[in-house]
Amino acid sequence: MALSRRTGRSRLTLALLILTSIAVLTLDFRDAGPVESARRMASSVFSPLRGAAETVTAPVTDAWNGVTSYGDLEAENERLRAELEELQGREILEEDAADQLAALLRMQDIDWVGDVPTTAARVVAGAPSNFSHTVEIDKGTDDGVREGMPVITGAGLAGKVVQATGGRSTVQLITDPEFKVGIRILSNNRTGTATGRGPGEQLIVDTSLTPEDAEVRRGTALTTSGTDNSAFPASIPIGRVRSTKESTSGLTVDLMVEPAADTERLAFVTVMLWEPPS
Amino acid sequence: MTEVGPVIRAVRVSFLLVLALTLQLGVASQLQVFGVQGDLMLLVAIAAGMAAGAESGARIGFVTGITYDLMLQTPFGLSALTYGMVAFLAGSLQDSALRAAWWIPVTTAAAASAIGVILYGVFGSVVGEDLVGTSLLQVAGVVAVLNAVLAAPVLKVVRWATGASDSSRVRAVYR
Repeated sequence: MALSRRTGRSRLTLALLILTSIAVLTLDFRDAGPVESARRMASSVFSPLRGAAETVTAPVTDAWNGVTSYGDLEAENERLRAELEELQGREILEEDAADQLAALLRMQDIDWVGDVPTTAARVVAGAPSNFSHTVEIDKGTDDGVREGMPVITGAGLAGKVVQATGGRSTVQLITDPEFKVGIRILSNNRTGTATGRGPGEQLIVDTSLTPEDAEVRRGTALTTSGTDNSAFPASIPIGRVRSTKESTSGLTVDLMVEPAADTERLAFVTVMLWEPPS
Repeated sequence: MTEVGPVIRAVRVSFLLVLALTLQLGVASQLQVFGVQGDLMLLVAIAAGMAAGAESGARIGFVTGITYDLMLQTPFGLSALTYGMVAFLAGSLQDSALRAAWWIPVTTAAAASAIGVILYGVFGSVVGEDLVGTSLLQVAGVVAVLNAVLAAPVLKVVRWATGASDSSRVRAVYR
């Protein structure tokens, strides 16, 4: 009798907790202010604790990562040396092309990505869980960083700021399945929307190209479209097309794109101090 | 073991949550195995179920999840929902154990961890997050193994925080 009463009370407690969770989830989906404020406050409070824990355990984590990633790092080092030599050759030609493009865009009164002020930031923490595709950087509102600002590496778009507090910000990575960015295909000027598919995965680009007019070759470069009310300025490199496939409707073609920025090993990033139009 | 009052218990559990969250964010996120990090917060919720029983465990699991949700960009309440349910399940599983062998909490922690990760992915998909992918099973497997390894020490700390003695759960089964 006592046991069945206890079991009944336990189930009632569980049911109440499930209902509370659903209520909280609903509040979050309705963008209730208190949820965001609580998150911002918790982030401010825990940042120093997190930083202290990382500093104390850095020798252990560095040793662990060194042991588990040694082979990968060696191969990557060789690949990067080869890439660097190739890029040094291209640099001079691209500088000239960039100057010409900037001049043309200024004549048309269009934002040129090279004119946007930036601030460099260090990545101080990785994703807080297995299902988060975010990193934390050591620049925040005190440095002029605001939510929505693009975050780039030397290679291209890495993500955008989704939460900014005094000295730190959270960056949603381009590989996050919730991340969307308007793109332009450089070979034909057509536009589309790129969506993340998780860490280490290629982006998928939803285009209006039909299978008949899809002449997008492997290796074609994509940049941000920068169309009206776009969340990003134009001409930030996104990545290169690796393959094409029919969309689920069968009417258009999707592009599989290798992101230019390596979001798996971010150490330093640049925040573009550019706020998207509200 | 002396009986612990509700205030001391609440203080100890709060301390435990702050410590676990700090270790999760500062240490576990840096130590990855096959690109997957251990889920210490989930393990604390499971250990609470095993140490304090299904009902108290579910409550502590819910609070653990809400605390973790504050630091994530995933929907607020998703961890609370999952951890509360998994803690309840772990407590019920532990209650159904008829003998006290060392491997029972370890296997319970492993199974509940895998279930917790999969539930999180499924619930996330229900609310519109793209969390169910090919890697979900890999994440569930690695988290299960890592949490099984950490189960014994974490269970000891959670027993201290909740004021549950090592043998009280077993005695409750035989009563």
